[in-house]
Amino acid sequence: MAEQKPPLVDMMSMAIPSPELRDKISALLPGKADFCLQCARCTSGCTAMRLLELKPHEIVALVRLGFLEELISSKSIWDCALCLKCVEKCPQEVAPAEIIMALRNEAVSRELEVPERLNAMLMSILETGLAFGPRKRTARDGRSYGREDMGLPEIKVGLSEEAMMALMELLGGV
Amino acid sequence: MNGSRRPRIGVFICHCGLNIAGVIDVGHVRELVKALPDVVVCEDYPYMCSEPGQALIKERIREQGLDRVVVASCSPSMHEPTFRRAVEEAGLNPYLLEMANIREQCSWVHAHEPEKATQKAFELIRMAVAKARELEPLEPKRLEVERSALVIGGGIAGITAALDLADAGLKVFLVERAPSIGGHMAQLDKTFPTLDCSACILTPKMVDVASHPNVRLLTYSEVKEVRAVEGGFEALVLRKPRYVREDICTGCGACVERCPIEVPSEFDAGLGPRKAIYIPFPQAIPKVAVIDYEHCIRCGLCERVCEAKAIDFGQEEREETIKVGAIVVATGLRLLDPWALPEYAILGERANIITHLQLERLMSSSGPTGGRILRPSDGLEPRSIVFLTCVGSRDRLANPYCCRIGCSIAVKQALMVKERIGEHVDVYVCFIDMRTYGRGLEEFYRRAREAGVKFIRGSPTEVEPLPDGSVRLVVFDQATWKLLEIRADLLVLIAGLLAPEGLEELASIMKLPLGPDGFLSEAHPKLRPAETPIRGIFLAGACQGPKDIVETTAHASAAAMKAASMLMKGYVLVEPYTAVVNEERCRGCGRCEEACEFGAISVEERAGRLVAHVNEALCQGCGSCAVRCPTGAITIRHFKPRQILAQVVAAAG
Repeated sequence: MAEQKPPLVDMMSMAIPSPELRDKISALLPGKADFCLQCARCTSGCTAMRLLELKPHEIVALVRLGFLEELISSKSIWDCALCLKCVEKCPQEVAPAEIIMALRNEAVSRELEVPERLNAMLMSILETGLAFGPRKRTARDGRSYGREDMGLPEIKVGLSEEAMMALMELLGGV
Repeated sequence: MNGSRRPRIGVFICHCGLNIAGVIDVGHVRELVKALPDVVVCEDYPYMCSEPGQALIKERIREQGLDRVVVASCSPSMHEPTFRRAVEEAGLNPYLLEMANIREQCSWVHAHEPEKATQKAFELIRMAVAKARELEPLEPKRLEVERSALVIGGGIAGITAALDLADAGLKVFLVERAPSIGGHMAQLDKTFPTLDCSACILTPKMVDVASHPNVRLLTYSEVKEVRAVEGGFEALVLRKPRYVREDICTGCGACVERCPIEVPSEFDAGLGPRKAIYIPFPQAIPKVAVIDYEHCIRCGLCERVCEAKAIDFGQEEREETIKVGAIVVATGLRLLDPWALPEYAILGERANIITHLQLERLMSSSGPTGGRILRPSDGLEPRSIVFLTCVGSRDRLANPYCCRIGCSIAVKQALMVKERIGEHVDVYVCFIDMRTYGRGLEEFYRRAREAGVKFIRGSPTEVEPLPDGSVRLVVFDQATWKLLEIRADLLVLIAGLLAPEGLEELASIMKLPLGPDGFLSEAHPKLRPAETPIRGIFLAGACQGPKDIVETTAHASAAAMKAASMLMKGYVLVEPYTAVVNEERCRGCGRCEEACEFGAISVEERAGRLVAHVNEALCQGCGSCAVRCPTGAITIRHFKPRQILAQVVAAAG
């Protein structure tokens, strides 16, 4: 046999699988991508289906074969709403959303660009403790209403020191 | 019918749910039938074959004094026995029943023309009524059967059937054309989904069947002729010469060692050599040598080393006639030769493109590599292996049908390769659909995925052998939407499965029907899966279509059970539709004797004149004699000219 050549090549991009990265990501997952039967139940019920360039079952298939580089830099992993419907519906306990989470972590650890709206959300949580702060909304009558207009009490924003500590710990910081 | 009294006919029309009533206006037909002469009663019912339906018929027979019954329903091959029994239980002779097939031959085929179908249903019933008037009471024919069976084929199907029959106390002749019994199962390393060692579970069965006091083993023998005779069948078995005396050869193998000639081994699927004198495999039964006369150079070395003096170049072909009451056909299957497919023929044979059976031999400890998975070209351990399923299967240009076991074989072998070579070997299975049906097989398939076998939904068009001996495949993966290039150090083709060589010939001598796929046809796919249309001939295993071992043994036991239930009773009751001779009219011309394909008619001298005589045990009621008889002396019971003519007249309206 000649010198070791990769047994698998993506003829469209000439990419080759990354087995080490695949193992690293698989180790983080509760269910193995290998088990996927491609029933596409995850995609059939996906909340973010219309936004995703790569559908959940395709993401799982790419992970299964080890084509991870294109996934880590893909926009699709950030469009997932993490509603976990796919985790609930998967008949092989593969958990596509968990795979997407693992891919996001890998992307962040490589300091790849994270969509601005997610950064903004993170900042909002750090500042106010809320992913989306209290905002006015326009009703059918064309008028805008805030909580005070509805007679609702003001929401206390900001994180307690305790909560901040817990959050930082969760984010792996400090 | 006694001439003095008009027949009293009852007609019963079945709706068969909507099968009949959904097309045919049953009520209208009923009113038309009521007006036919001699019809005393006509009724319809949703399911005439049900208990209440049958009860209705019986009640009307008793209450109305019916002496003829017409049931208009499905094909008589479906429910004639049912209605015969009902008629008999009501005290009538069962042959005074006539059926009109208004389902298969009417409502099903004329579903789009309900009005015409309704008219036709009436006409079919009118014909049946006409024949019913002419029916005569008959008694079923009782045929004695020989209490012994012939099993053709000594693979796992034949072995299982032979053992079941022999254990039931019946004498069994087991004929195998190869030098040893064992068949394909003997070539396998492991069996799915339990990964049982194939030889370990097969060998004890082989020993049991060979040593069973009720079994006579005829290996290296072929069935050349089968004739129906009184008591069953007479088979002419050709016993091929081994040029080694089976009775004194000890199987020591000294001759094999000395033999200077090497040819590819059939048992190792061509991957390893065997000698011109050989013992097919270590567990062969009988464990005696056989000389491949075509390749033997008659050097006589084997003769010199044989201490038992068993070598006998003077042996000749022998013929043996065996008489049995039943035959179980268990001739198995064969692999499609991928090199006969245009896409592989164009490549020419390549060492590192092998069939699944060849891989099985590479994995077997008795195989050419002692169980190590090594590439045939250079004996190196492959680092990537690709399995292609459906090679020649589900292909309109080769086998249009699914081989049924290929997916499970691929899963098993992929898993075995991972286990034997180690996790580092890249294993891919390119498939169209994964059809790992059957108990434990879904779990087995999951186990292979867990082991890291990559399953790719897609079939490559290009298979390109590379100079380094590996193979390049380009396949579109429907899961990732990528065009993938895979380099395989070893390419394993899951070859399609075909009817065995010679099955067509065997079917023709036994008058058995073959399906479009070339396998033997069963009498009924659901209700009589182990029987053939010919009484006394049964099917076991893959001769009826590809099967795995689980299905094969179940099918073989079913065939044995069916054969045993007939043989142990010692007789069968059959339809009395045989030829009958009116000796006064017969001139003894012998045309009927010439016409009879079954040898059932002979012209004999009786009371000083020549007359035809019918052997009822052999007569199949085909009617060839009746149409040849110049004087009308020979007729077929239940299909007499008078009865048929009445139907013809009724058909003409």
